[in-house]
Amino acid sequence: MAEPHDATSPMGIVIIGTPRSGTTLLRRILDAHPNIASPPETYLLSAAARFLHQERFAPGLGIGVLSGLAFAGFSEDEVLGRLRRFVFDFLAEHAAAQGKARWAEKTAFDAFHLPAIERLCRGHVRFLCVQRHGLDVACSMADLVDKTGGYVQELHAYLRRTPEPLAALAHAWVDTSRAVHALAQADPLALELRYEDLVREPATVLRQVLAFIDEPEPEDLLDRALRDTGRLGFGDWKTYGRTAIDDSSVGRWKALPSPTVQRLAAICNDNLETLGYDPVPVDEGEVSDEQARRSYEFGLMLNRMKAKG
Amino acid sequence: MRFLLASPPTMALTAESLREFLGSKTRADLDKVSDDAALFSSGLIDSFVMIDLMNLLQKQTGARIAPDELMNLDSIRQILEFSAQKQR
Repeated sequence: MAEPHDATSPMGIVIIGTPRSGTTLLRRILDAHPNIASPPETYLLSAAARFLHQERFAPGLGIGVLSGLAFAGFSEDEVLGRLRRFVFDFLAEHAAAQGKARWAEKTAFDAFHLPAIERLCRGHVRFLCVQRHGLDVACSMADLVDKTGGYVQELHAYLRRTPEPLAALAHAWVDTSRAVHALAQADPLALELRYEDLVREPATVLRQVLAFIDEPEPEDLLDRALRDTGRLGFGDWKTYGRTAIDDSSVGRWKALPSPTVQRLAAICNDNLETLGYDPVPVDEGEVSDEQARRSYEFGLMLNRMKAKG
Repeated sequence: MRFLLASPPTMALTAESLREFLGSKTRADLDKVSDDAALFSSGLIDSFVMIDLMNLLQKQTGARIAPDELMNLDSIRQILEFSAQKQR
């Protein structure tokens, strides 16, 4: 049995990242640790974020539960404290049932609710912030949409704004990865890591993660995590089927058609650089209407040629 | 109908610059692809890259590509020959 962690630091761990950034892989690894229980996606934090949702109009008053209860005599700290206990109790009880001292929570779409989750959790948990290349995330989210047959509510606003699905998903990545990065920069109890490093050098990254959460490093952690495919629940279906970590999903965006890459690069490049990724090379100059029509003609000519064999 | 070109014809295409252009579009190393290897018909380059190539050739030669000329743009050698012929 591994030694328990430092009792003075927060017990809870929250894994946060844009959906399809490797958060399920990290959850699965942490769940294999003898001191940490990390259930499949519970949706507790996004549900709590919805509870805290408020709208602010011109006079500045937030319309929502915090203001409503404040008028009834309950301070913001009191409401947040009760909600925190409500949420954390489920996770602590689950951990205790597994015979483990600590919990780690991860739900894919939490990154869309980060301000409220931060308000609820900051100072009370350790955040593990996972980042992944934006174009790979957009490709992988498109796979998810294809499998599920629809878009979750968190993506609707992006699709209303941008009718091209991959571009909408790229915008979603920009917003969420920026929010995750801002949290990682601002909170001393947050550690930012990259999916690409996790799959290329899992042992090194896990050593940093475990040091950050004050946990010893069991020798067979990775083997145990990859062996255990039995605990089913919400989460990345691909990860559940994997028994080895590899980097085959890194750079999958390179198989996208060139015009699509150009479109996504224009959306993602600034943020890619902010996060330490190389920007995607873009062609110089705008495409004129005349060029676009000619390209369309070329496409039809190629189709006709292919049809003729 | 004649299509106006956005830019005047540019300098001659070489095997090296063509490989570099196609490599940047496919993100693959084409150094080992021979001058006679089939590109489009083998699937080595897709329709999108082929369209980029046709735009490049049109811009570089100033000539309009006809449908029956597409069959002769399937290898690096054929593309260079097409480019040289149209620039004469």
